[in-house]
Amino acid sequence: MKIGMSHGAGGEIMQGLISDIILDNIKNKTVNGGVGLADLDDGATIPLGENEIVISTDSHTIDPLFFPGGDIGRISMAGTVNDVSVMGARPLAIANAMVISEGFDVDELERIIKSMDEVCQETGVAIVTGDTKVMENDKLDKMIISTTGIGIAPKGAITRDSGLEVGDKIILTGSVGDHGISLMSYREGFGFETDLKSDVAPVWGMVEAALDIGGVHAMKDPTRGGIANALNELASKSGVGMFLDDEKIPVKREVHAASEMLGIDPYEVANEGKVVMGVAPEKADEILEAIRKNKYGGEAQIIGEVTTDKHVILETSLGGKRILEAPIADPVPRVC
Amino acid sequence: MKKARILVQGIVQGVGFRPNVYRIAKALGINGYVRNLGNVVEIVVEGNEKDIMTFSNDLKLKKPPISKIDSVKIEWLDEDSSPEFNGFQILESSSNFSGSSVIPPDVATCDRCMEEVMLAGDRRYLYPFTACTDCGPRFTVINAIPYDRDRTSMEEFPLCPDCLDEYQDPEDRRYHAEATCCPVCGPEVFLYREDRIESENPIKEAAQLLDEGNVLAIKGIGGTHLVASTTDDLPVIKLRERLGRMNQPFACMSPDVSTIYSFAEVADYEEKALLSRNRPIVVLKKNVDYYLSPQVAPDLHNLGVMLPYSALHHLLFTYTDAPAYIMTSANMPGEPMLTQNQDIINKLDGVADYYLLHNREIVNRCDDSVVRFRGGDMAFIRRSRGYVPEPYDFSNINTDLNVLALGPEIDVTFSLLKEGKCYVSQHIGDTTKYETFLYLQRAIDHMMGITRAQNIDVVVCDLHPQFFTTKLAHELGEKFNCPVLKVQHHHAHAAALSLDWELDEFICIAADGVGYGADGSAWGGEIIHYHGAEYDRVASLMPQEMPGGDLTTRYPARMMMGMLHPLYSTEEIVDLMKTHYLDYFPHRLKEIEIIATQLEKNFNLTKTTSTGRVLDALAACLKICGERTYEGECAMKLESTAYQGEDTLEIPLKITRKEGMNVLNTSQLISSVLKKKMDGMPLEDLACSAQKAVSRGLAELAIKVASKKGVDTIGGSGGVFYNEAISMTIKEVVEDAGYNFIQHKNSCAGDGSVSLGQAMVAALKCGKQS
Ligand SMILES: [Fe+3]
Ligand SMILES: [Mg+2]
Ligand SMILES: [Zn+2]
Ligand SMILES: [Zn+2]
Repeated sequence: MKIGMSHGAGGEIMQGLISDIILDNIKNKTVNGGVGLADLDDGATIPLGENEIVISTDSHTIDPLFFPGGDIGRISMAGTVNDVSVMGARPLAIANAMVISEGFDVDELERIIKSMDEVCQETGVAIVTGDTKVMENDKLDKMIISTTGIGIAPKGAITRDSGLEVGDKIILTGSVGDHGISLMSYREGFGFETDLKSDVAPVWGMVEAALDIGGVHAMKDPTRGGIANALNELASKSGVGMFLDDEKIPVKREVHAASEMLGIDPYEVANEGKVVMGVAPEKADEILEAIRKNKYGGEAQIIGEVTTDKHVILETSLGGKRILEAPIADPVPRVC
Repeated sequence: MKKARILVQGIVQGVGFRPNVYRIAKALGINGYVRNLGNVVEIVVEGNEKDIMTFSNDLKLKKPPISKIDSVKIEWLDEDSSPEFNGFQILESSSNFSGSSVIPPDVATCDRCMEEVMLAGDRRYLYPFTACTDCGPRFTVINAIPYDRDRTSMEEFPLCPDCLDEYQDPEDRRYHAEATCCPVCGPEVFLYREDRIESENPIKEAAQLLDEGNVLAIKGIGGTHLVASTTDDLPVIKLRERLGRMNQPFACMSPDVSTIYSFAEVADYEEKALLSRNRPIVVLKKNVDYYLSPQVAPDLHNLGVMLPYSALHHLLFTYTDAPAYIMTSANMPGEPMLTQNQDIINKLDGVADYYLLHNREIVNRCDDSVVRFRGGDMAFIRRSRGYVPEPYDFSNINTDLNVLALGPEIDVTFSLLKEGKCYVSQHIGDTTKYETFLYLQRAIDHMMGITRAQNIDVVVCDLHPQFFTTKLAHELGEKFNCPVLKVQHHHAHAAALSLDWELDEFICIAADGVGYGADGSAWGGEIIHYHGAEYDRVASLMPQEMPGGDLTTRYPARMMMGMLHPLYSTEEIVDLMKTHYLDYFPHRLKEIEIIATQLEKNFNLTKTTSTGRVLDALAACLKICGERTYEGECAMKLESTAYQGEDTLEIPLKITRKEGMNVLNTSQLISSVLKKKMDGMPLEDLACSAQKAVSRGLAELAIKVASKKGVDTIGGSGGVFYNEAISMTIKEVVEDAGYNFIQHKNSCAGDGSVSLGQAMVAALKCGKQS
């Protein structure tokens, strides 16, 4: 078998590759009984004394490097900070490795680094180590940035994907599909990006506000595969289902229109500055209010709750209830 | 004196079979007994050999109307045993039987029962639940087997002394009629608004309310109907608006055939189907005098009509002069029909003005069946009430496997193969709707219960990786610890058709909306060389791009753009759409430009060879239909337009080789239709000619293959074969070329029989166990 694009698309095909080829061939996957590789959570943890160190890593390639609402620098910092954040840990430091192709414009590199710094300042994170390599330009398209984030949480306070409890309320911190649709549109020349930009942003502020109140049981940042993927992952890892109200899920008008014209489901499209979390029902309103006060959380909503059912069910106003599936790489027509 | 043991198999339970045996024995003076052993009726008789032979023949000749005898086996017992029996007796069902029990389908109220209902002074006068051994509900009231009253929803209605007398008298036609009852002991109807309305005669009042323009929910036998008047536009429009179903044709019920003649054309075979005790909805052509509201079946040349199938329906029509009422399944779109009183009242709040309900539980939901004739050939559009659970006979296939096949995704039935009988379920529906998905699982459990299937050896599903039925198949495979077999959609279509004709090999034109292809693309205009467990895809329509995937199914002008793309420049297409089809795009020019970019950049396109999409695109091209609001809408409206026209215009066909297969160039076809439209040719003639061109193209692809492979039969399967003009053209072309043409006759051309085909392929593939 050869690797196809679908192996990196965040769907079931990618899950298959990870479990068959990667997990099966690695023996040591966890340290000190912390969250390890096999858990496929947003990051790993190493329990140390009274605390747990959280580690998360990500490689970033994006076409184009600069897009409405951000650039590869912002996305590589925010992406990693967010993965650490949704583990319930305060992000502390970043290690940053860059592979740059020969002929890359230094001014552009500077813009990218400044963008990284902006996210770090906003979140109170330091870039503490790094690595820079250059490759022939026929071997690499522009650049790849790999970032590893370190965070810390009191021991036992980590929020695992598997932590949902029946009855929990599901909070979504803002509109979905902005990043995926605007980037797609910008790249292919559809023109929606004139009204729309990527939502790429660090979510630590919102997460911290929620953690301060307490009762947060599980979190995820819905990137590749969109909320459809993130919600299904949370549900299946927790062994529960969800009942969601379609009308409560914020979708910007432009995203809605674009998805109607392109035939793309905004729930399956990547976000870069959103969180979905399951919280204790009695804390839900308070957490929602706190998140809404954050500059990225104004549109936050309680979109549903956790059920004993094994499916993620979406109730729509006209179409009744349907199962919200985790997307596979390429949809195949099914309506006869 | 001889003694014999006779075993009779078939539909011999709950159909008055044993009392009939009793009467035959009495008439011949034969002694012995009869009893049920599950699916087998056991008869032990003594008498002289000649009488016993006469007796055994009479079992078949004089069988009760709704029974079905598969086999009669005689085994002669010890010769010299002395007479053992004194008279002839009907013994209680033996409870420790083995094997599956074939439960009869529901049967329309018989004439004898209706005579009683209409006879003033009869104790069942005007009683809506009158039934006997020859008629009434079966499948819809059964909880478990053997079929006895205490395992049905009639259990709650203990028989009164009069009814009990009839029930216990072998000479009475209600002997062991499990659904029998009367006004004293049986269920009753009542009328509801928000609360129960006290009424002397709720059915009469219901008819009046209908005639005043109200929408009623009427709970019937296997489900609930939404009912409205048909002679006035307003009630129909009211119902449409409340359901958000602005175009989908509604089925009607008419009191009798002569009334139907007043607004529809009825061929003799159609009349026969209307009057059959299965009482399906029959799709009929509107006649020249058609006077019902055009809103009943908007923009179509035909409509679905059925006759009353329960006393309740008959009574409704005695209180009105209405020629027909709309009787459409009461459900929210895609969800299962409502059957529980409380659900009906709650969920139809705002849809129905009144509710005519009754207090008998509907155990098994069973939607009305729908049939359509193409020429004289009948096909099921939906095979459900009146037919289910009567099994298909798989005894020609040598298998003892229990197979559970889950069908496709939208128009789902499932099939359970056990002991050579394949039980195809009632219509389940759209399993992308959660409620329907749950219903599927409950219906599987129930079917396994009433067939006593303990285990499953193979679970079968579609090749489509995303279908909910595919996922369920994997879960069931784990549950039953058995393999899951995936069967290609059109292979299953062909297999179901082969069963109707008992053929091992033929060339199948599989033409429908979409089926997941072995190459991962969306097939739907395929020529399949069917040879049992295997198939070869040997020709197809030209693969076309679907910009936006399933979105093209809803907005056919998108498909048209995709199909024109190989022949026209993007600018030409945008210009054409902008000038002539702007209103077919919800986002107008912006959307047209986006689609053009999608086609240019190969963004979110999927390939399809679907015939349905070609017909949709033709409907869009001829400005017949710009948005599909119900399944098949564009193609159905194309057919109705074509019905008004003549095949006068020459649409040239181009068949080319692509990847070693013949393909029909559908881009060239639609562009030639478009040119003629721009030249001002009449739309009706164009629709007719275009439809014929597609048919000829499919037929020619099939004929080429048949001649090369030396196969003498060509068949048609898939939803496209509901189209009478297409079916008849293909038949004509195929027969003119010297081949046999076969169509579905006892199964669905559409996806309702996919599970049947899947089960068949599994039986052929997996064969005998051990
Ligand atoms: Fe089909
Ligand atoms: Mg998490
Ligand atoms: Zn009767
Ligand atoms: Zn009675």
